[in-house]
Amino acid sequence: MDLPAGTRNYTYAQDMAIFRTKTHWFLLLVLLVFLFTAPVWFGNYWLSVANLIGITIIAVTGLNLLTGYCGQLSIGQAGFMAVGAYTSAVLVGRFNLPFPVAILCAGVGAGLVGMLFGIPSLRVRGFYLAISTIAAQFIIVWVVSHWTNLTGGFSGMEVKPASIGGFVFRSQASEYFLILGITIAAVFVAKNIARTRTGRAFVAIRDNDLAAETLGINLFRYKLTAFFVGCFYAGIAGSLLAHTSRSVSADYFPFMDSVLFIGMIIIGGLGTTLGPILGAVFLRLLDVLVTKLSPWLQSAFPGLPPGFTSGIAPMLFGLVIVLFLVFEPRGMSHRWQLLKAAYRYWPFSY
Amino acid sequence: MQKRLMLVMSVVLGLAVLALPALTSCGPKAKEGQVLKIGMMTPSTGPVPEKGVPGQHGIQDAVEYINKELNGAGGYPMQASWRDSAYDMAKVGTIVQDFMNEGDLLFTTHSSSEMKAAQGKANEAGFPGIATFISTMNLHPAAHIYGPTPDYGDDWVALAKYYKDHIWQGTGRPKMALHLLGGTVGQGTLDGAQAKAAELGIDLVATENHALTTTSEIESLTRIKAKNPDVLIISGVPASSAVVLRDAKKLGIYPGTTVMLTSASFVQAFVDLAGKDDSGAFVAEGTYGVAHVVTWDENVPGVAKAREYAQKNHPADIGNMDYLGTWATVLVIREILATAVKNVGYDALAKGGPDAWKLIEEQGIKKVKGYKIEGLQGGSLSFTPGDNRLDKYLRIYQVKGGNIVPISDWQEAPLVAYSQYDK
Repeated sequence: MDLPAGTRNYTYAQDMAIFRTKTHWFLLLVLLVFLFTAPVWFGNYWLSVANLIGITIIAVTGLNLLTGYCGQLSIGQAGFMAVGAYTSAVLVGRFNLPFPVAILCAGVGAGLVGMLFGIPSLRVRGFYLAISTIAAQFIIVWVVSHWTNLTGGFSGMEVKPASIGGFVFRSQASEYFLILGITIAAVFVAKNIARTRTGRAFVAIRDNDLAAETLGINLFRYKLTAFFVGCFYAGIAGSLLAHTSRSVSADYFPFMDSVLFIGMIIIGGLGTTLGPILGAVFLRLLDVLVTKLSPWLQSAFPGLPPGFTSGIAPMLFGLVIVLFLVFEPRGMSHRWQLLKAAYRYWPFSY
Repeated sequence: MQKRLMLVMSVVLGLAVLALPALTSCGPKAKEGQVLKIGMMTPSTGPVPEKGVPGQHGIQDAVEYINKELNGAGGYPMQASWRDSAYDMAKVGTIVQDFMNEGDLLFTTHSSSEMKAAQGKANEAGFPGIATFISTMNLHPAAHIYGPTPDYGDDWVALAKYYKDHIWQGTGRPKMALHLLGGTVGQGTLDGAQAKAAELGIDLVATENHALTTTSEIESLTRIKAKNPDVLIISGVPASSAVVLRDAKKLGIYPGTTVMLTSASFVQAFVDLAGKDDSGAFVAEGTYGVAHVVTWDENVPGVAKAREYAQKNHPADIGNMDYLGTWATVLVIREILATAVKNVGYDALAKGGPDAWKLIEEQGIKKVKGYKIEGLQGGSLSFTPGDNRLDKYLRIYQVKGGNIVPISDWQEAPLVAYSQYDK
């Protein structure tokens, strides 16, 4: 970890600390106070946006472990979310299991399905692996659409709100706290996974899998572990999406979402803990901005061609991803690191 | 004496005629900033912009017409907050929350899938929704979501009845195949078929599904062809239905087998997208369909106004049924709002929120009666307890010479109970 000038680590505990200096702790505290008091000044609309961002962060953090750290390109994350969403909806709705059990089962279920589709990763990589994960997306969506007895088929399912110990998460504010808590836990766990032996093995596989194998890393085991963990996160996110939307159907998990998630980790920064957070926040807020801006543009410039303002969103998403790939391929988290370094070294930034 | 009476009556009548314009403008006059807010979303980007964009234009032009020429709703201008849902169901949830937050009195969607994604939170909050295109699962069980027209289940029943009564000439039970868009559109049609096929004496011999973005249905239609159906019902959106029809023609299923389409796809865009064959004939020629609104060629006041505004603002939408559909929905909403304003006054509705939503439902939606929607739909607007379809009339159409023309009278769609939803 980069440390401010003059700060040295003298113990292993200091070396391992995520928040090392008082400034770190202070900024963390400010952030937590901001996040936990958000319902006081956020209206229900912004809370619903925050909830969607939180769910997206969980899904994208899982994808980042799989793709950003382990180098296994997956374009089926929305499909794995569907596994989690339906698992949780069925367990709560049909079998009356408590939500905490259901959400864990959703994660495990999605993880196991992810492992199944991850098996080809031992033989194929890169573009070919991406194609096999696209297959996962379509197969999963086909199954949930046609397994009518269990999933409700194309009608989808009504889903009960999440509840823990008799407390029902019905309002936007209560859902916000639920999602916030799980998001913080998910990011914290992901950060720590990246620092463990497993995380280092992921990085070794990503950088050069042949070299990693000669070093004694069991490629099959670690690749499948990466698929399990990445899809576990997707399952958790899917479960939260289902319980906060009150319904679930295949329409919630389009292929384009899987592509968008890849865009988020590219924009945020592959292989960093901060990247998925920044990417998800940036693209979701961009979407909100365009959704709000479009009607205004239409009334301000009535001469624009029909459908032009609506078409801004997809054009902008594409443009932003291309611009990041060209000008900042290491993503927003790298830009953030540069900003921090400039602050620390100022006025001697050279 | 009689002469004197006539004179008095003439004077009274004359005064009444003179006072009429003044009386009509004597309704409540809105002060600056007093508006009736509504939320409207359309899938203007994403996989179905061919429906969303004209739908969006219909909304915007109808609101302009209402505010300019009809003195708003109950004397107060309507303010529509429009959002592009991009057919993104996760986003639909935040848009509905946005509508609730900004004080909207009700909201509309332009696709049954959008409404399905929105209705969980809306029903929970008691926020009334009007679905321009409606599936069975949007209205069953009846809660806070309403339809200005019949639903896709009703479409199936109407098509099946028409087929049995006017087209079927064989003996025994006709064999029917269904080609359904995966999702709420296809499911609504399937619900109708499963609920009523046995009663109508129809055998469902094949059910196939297609995707929104399908480009070939040769394989599924080959399976259907093997069952040798008498009639094929396609339930999708214009683009997907056009693909199914073109492939049915390639396989020689059509002509031969009667092809019928439900309301979500039976629009001019479907005829255009299906295109022409090598001989220059329209591929869709002779297909049957059901619709809940009139065509652009009909002589009713609503069409004249829609044409006038479309000509001015969006000329490319003339002839588009999605445009006309949302135009009619906005008129329905105006009537609901005007009724609510008349019954409880503007102040009770001004700020939106749960109390206002309840008033909109109880004193608006449930009190409308007899409004003819400027002739754009078959019936008149009225609420029946337990049945959230506000107009229950539909009509059978056929493609003739590349145009969609009505071939039946308006017929009432009786309420179908769907056991899987109405528990």
